[in-house]
Amino acid sequence: MDTYQDPAAARKGFFTDTTLCIGCKACEVACKEWNQLPADGYEYTGQSYDNTGELNGTTWRHVAFVEQLRGGASNDPHDGVLRPESGRWLMESDVCKHCTHAACLDVCPTGALFRTEFGTVVVQEDVCNGCGYCVPACPFGVIDKRDTDGHAGKCTLCYDRLKDGEKPACAKACPTESIQFGDVDDLRRRADERVAKLKADGMYQHVELYGRDENDGVGGMGAMFLLLDKPEVYGLPPDPVDATRELGAMWRAAGYAMAALVGATLLLSAGGRA
Amino acid sequence: MSASYYGRPVVKPHVWKPYIPLYFWIGGTAGAAAVSMALERAKGNDELATVQRNVALAGALTAPVLLILDLGVPLRFYAMLRVFKPSSPMSIGSWVLTAFGGAIAGATVSDVLGAKPLARALEVVAAALGPVLATYTAVLIADTATPVWREARGELPFVFVASSLAGAGACGTLFAPAASARPARRMMTAGAFALAATTRLMEKRLGRFMAEPYRKGPAASLKGGADFLSIAGGVLMRAGGKKTVVARVAAVCVIAAGVLERFAVLSAGKVSAGDPKYTVEPQRKRADERASADAVRN
Repeated sequence: MDTYQDPAAARKGFFTDTTLCIGCKACEVACKEWNQLPADGYEYTGQSYDNTGELNGTTWRHVAFVEQLRGGASNDPHDGVLRPESGRWLMESDVCKHCTHAACLDVCPTGALFRTEFGTVVVQEDVCNGCGYCVPACPFGVIDKRDTDGHAGKCTLCYDRLKDGEKPACAKACPTESIQFGDVDDLRRRADERVAKLKADGMYQHVELYGRDENDGVGGMGAMFLLLDKPEVYGLPPDPVDATRELGAMWRAAGYAMAALVGATLLLSAGGRA
Repeated sequence: MSASYYGRPVVKPHVWKPYIPLYFWIGGTAGAAAVSMALERAKGNDELATVQRNVALAGALTAPVLLILDLGVPLRFYAMLRVFKPSSPMSIGSWVLTAFGGAIAGATVSDVLGAKPLARALEVVAAALGPVLATYTAVLIADTATPVWREARGELPFVFVASSLAGAGACGTLFAPAASARPARRMMTAGAFALAATTRLMEKRLGRFMAEPYRKGPAASLKGGADFLSIAGGVLMRAGGKKTVVARVAAVCVIAAGVLERFAVLSAGKVSAGDPKYTVEPQRKRADERASADAVRN
């Protein structure tokens, strides 16, 4: 077909199945390697095997390790209760959610953040001037301003690799297919099947598909996660909302405040020049 | 106590340096000063009108410097005017600040060159943009995932307007001859009391749990200082404001109160984003309520 550019590609994304994650951090390493991101330093957090800590401007994949030795939602391995038979070790490779309604993209004043033909959200590093607005805007705490070069950074879903028909580096490196890459529609189907199977097997008390619901506060996520506990246990917000949803109401409130400013100044000025 | 991942933040605290709360005050004060300028001009109180225009001009010249200093890549400041993006309060603010600065500077230059009608017209333009300049910063911070800002989205614009009104009034009181500064002194007094009242209202609406970041930790002392100085300034003005010295001391108190309040808001925002409970607890409640509503329906 004669189009002057490629027709839009299907929306791409991740389905991260945490039941398959073995905590090898190959995704973290592959991401750093491919995207040429600086190391985080050798700091030990004492928080299970997690010495990465968080997603930020130079860490775009982060494996969370949750030790639950009492079978509940406790993260504290030092509570003195050691019952390995009732314990479990949750691992989850976290990443940018590439939201349908992305707050970072909405608030970016320069247009540095944009929506790609793959439906992903990417920072143009040569445009970003490091205003930092996207940082508190993200409901997941993903994007961050980097100290090294002053601009914002986050997962691009390996935009450069996608353009060449390759899968993102993390998904390529994952040895257990805990990180699955593909068309979001396919991934949703696959994830639904997996959840149905796990529920039928009855092995886990809590199986939750995070980011699947298109009616959630961000209009559904391009990166979904199969979780075995509540999202907050993994450091994910239980009900994230794109703040821009209420922007109309915020401007309305500001409008009343503007009217109050003008009204008050008029009234107070009426005292004349005495 | 809600579950969390090693107590780590869920959302990222803002990364703005102290230039930003300072700009919030300066920009707001400049905006309110422009409104006052236009009204005084219309009334024929040219003395106060010109002082307020100079206040607005000083603000409009300082503001871009502060904003550029805060950027991660300052040399790319021009990227702010690369697009006009209604979904970004910062984009709207950048354009408004640029237009405001142009109008105020243009009005000043026109007056110097003797082009009075142009000067008056540009003053009207600046006065129309002033209220936006005084409030857009409230929308800007409310439009984030920072709990104490987002949950106060209805009240923050009023807090910022009160501080701007007080700031412009205080500057007018400081710099205009007492004979023509009466409207400015009234603005200052009203603004000071309004600042104390609106912050109180904001905390009340946030509720005991969500207002915590304003009541303990680093924001509490900033806010305490702002409360004390705004009320002290207002009371001082009511009691002995007829004396120029007293009025000037009150003006300094009120300016300090406004600046401290902006720092308190930014500091409370940082605290509320830094502790996951402020993000998780309200969201968990929402999610549970929705789940039980779904369970009832099915």
